[in-house]
Amino acid sequence: MIVKGRVWRFGDDIDTDQIYPGMYLPLTDKSEMARHAMEGTDRGSEFIEGVKAGDIIVAGKNFGCGSSREHAPVAIKGIGISVVIARSFARIFHRNCVNMGLPILLFDDPDRLADGDLIDVDVTTGVIENTTRGEKFTAQTLSTLELNIMKAGGLFAYLEEID
Amino acid sequence: MTIIEKIFSRAAGKDVKPGEYVWAKLNLVAMRDFGGPNVIQEYEEHYGTRPVFDAQRVAVTFDLHIPARNEKVAENQKTLRGFVHRQGARLFDVNTGVGQHVLLESGLVHPGDIVVGTDSHMNLLGAVGAAGFGMGTTDVAGAMYKGKLWFEVPQTIRITVTGTFKDFVGAKDLILHIIKRLTTSGALNRAVEFTGEVVDRLKIWERITVASMVTEMSGDVGFIVPDDSIMDFIESRAGQSIQRIAADPHAVYEREYEFNVDDLNPQIACPHSPDSVRDVAEVAGIPVDQVFIGSCTNGRLEDLESAADLLKGRKIKDGVRMIIVPATMEVARAAVRAGVHEIFLASGGVVTNPGCALCTTGHPGILAPGETMVSTSNRNFVGKLGKGANVYLASPTVAAATAIAGEITDPRSI
Ligand code: SF4
Repeated sequence: MIVKGRVWRFGDDIDTDQIYPGMYLPLTDKSEMARHAMEGTDRGSEFIEGVKAGDIIVAGKNFGCGSSREHAPVAIKGIGISVVIARSFARIFHRNCVNMGLPILLFDDPDRLADGDLIDVDVTTGVIENTTRGEKFTAQTLSTLELNIMKAGGLFAYLEEID
Repeated sequence: MTIIEKIFSRAAGKDVKPGEYVWAKLNLVAMRDFGGPNVIQEYEEHYGTRPVFDAQRVAVTFDLHIPARNEKVAENQKTLRGFVHRQGARLFDVNTGVGQHVLLESGLVHPGDIVVGTDSHMNLLGAVGAAGFGMGTTDVAGAMYKGKLWFEVPQTIRITVTGTFKDFVGAKDLILHIIKRLTTSGALNRAVEFTGEVVDRLKIWERITVASMVTEMSGDVGFIVPDDSIMDFIESRAGQSIQRIAADPHAVYEREYEFNVDDLNPQIACPHSPDSVRDVAEVAGIPVDQVFIGSCTNGRLEDLESAADLLKGRKIKDGVRMIIVPATMEVARAAVRAGVHEIFLASGGVVTNPGCALCTTGHPGILAPGETMVSTSNRNFVGKLGKGANVYLASPTVAAATAIAGEITDPRSI
């Protein structure tokens, strides 16, 4: 599965309070939740106004740390982000993405992808092509079990397939 | 095998290794007033009225917005009560307290169990050798239906602690000191085992403090091997004898750290990160607006008593607010019986009903922009307790000393 989009760069340790501020936790409507994606980061309003469907978040280590709120990946997916690439992810955030079918990739060298770069990402093989700079990299893909959950369309669909 | 490898081997029905992906059987699935309504929504959207895997192993706890603070929350709680009623699951209503504590007190969590729930600090169950995992709504809804979930078996880090605490130094100072060295991402996706003579001596309330803050090092779970006193606590509440759990002598650890507490002073995490830790003496004198004593990290009776010992016969500084929140109703009642409530109230504090309180924005006590608070909870990230507030994390005795002086204070100087 190949996605194409523009890179939005974020730093290390972006926690779930920055991805989805705690004051919006009572919201349950997914499209309302999407309107607050990344709002707590230092470039929150710029992101919310500028992001287009298919765009890609690229971050440093420990992306999605903090609370277990699933609002965080729901908002990111809802606002149109096609894949999140980071040096590492917090466990709960990682699980939530797999379970709802939001692709993620682990990439050691996120600094090779600059803000605004246009990139093509093959989510299953991990191949990242930076078309702005004419460079190609390979990121670490998810485990077979996780890819199967994603392929089935998320955790609920997968749980129906197994006994 | 390490503790987590043993737990997953048992739950997966085969020997597992770190890095392996497994489906594991769950002993308990918990939801709370935050996250819970989203779980129900997902559950009923996908499974309708189909029964949960085992109603006795599904628990709803109210701890965050209790009693309901607005109509939205009241509606959410009504949704959860309705679900419990339809499914026959267990309900711990607004008169009980912090979920994980309530589950421990009611004997539902045993060493070696796997428990999943919607709070990020489920791992405090490691205080009794259980694996608690905080999870998102999809996971918890799926878990309620199937009674099992997928996991990656984590590597284990071992932390050995030796020495003897000085006066006014204890579990909170220890865990802050450990987080300072490992940093907020130091145990990322790892299990942690705490061991050594200092850890062996810790009582359940202190073990809870240590285990709860494994989250702040980004650890998955943190275990302390149950001793006789922990087994007595669990067995008396469960009303049955329970199997122990411990790592094998030849278990393989990814990394090992050693700490000695002989020279450890009272510690404090400065804004805005749990790993910006310094000796309290280094930041002494910073004026504060509010002090909070409570949360799942420091809300047990002994935590409250240690603060009350300092506050007895004293008043808090004019202009400072001190809010005390027992973790559970059991703790609150014991505190009333022990005269602890009276000490807090006489000194000028506000004691609220049990729950998570100021840990999130759920409860009365949020800060105004630019205000400063010393809190005994576990997090001080930007925005956690009101935009633009400065939050310091410390032990109940540091918090009490600070309330008395009106500025950050080493309890040994009171
Ligand atoms: S006190 Fe805070 S961290 Fe602890 S259970 Fe409550 S909300 Fe979670």
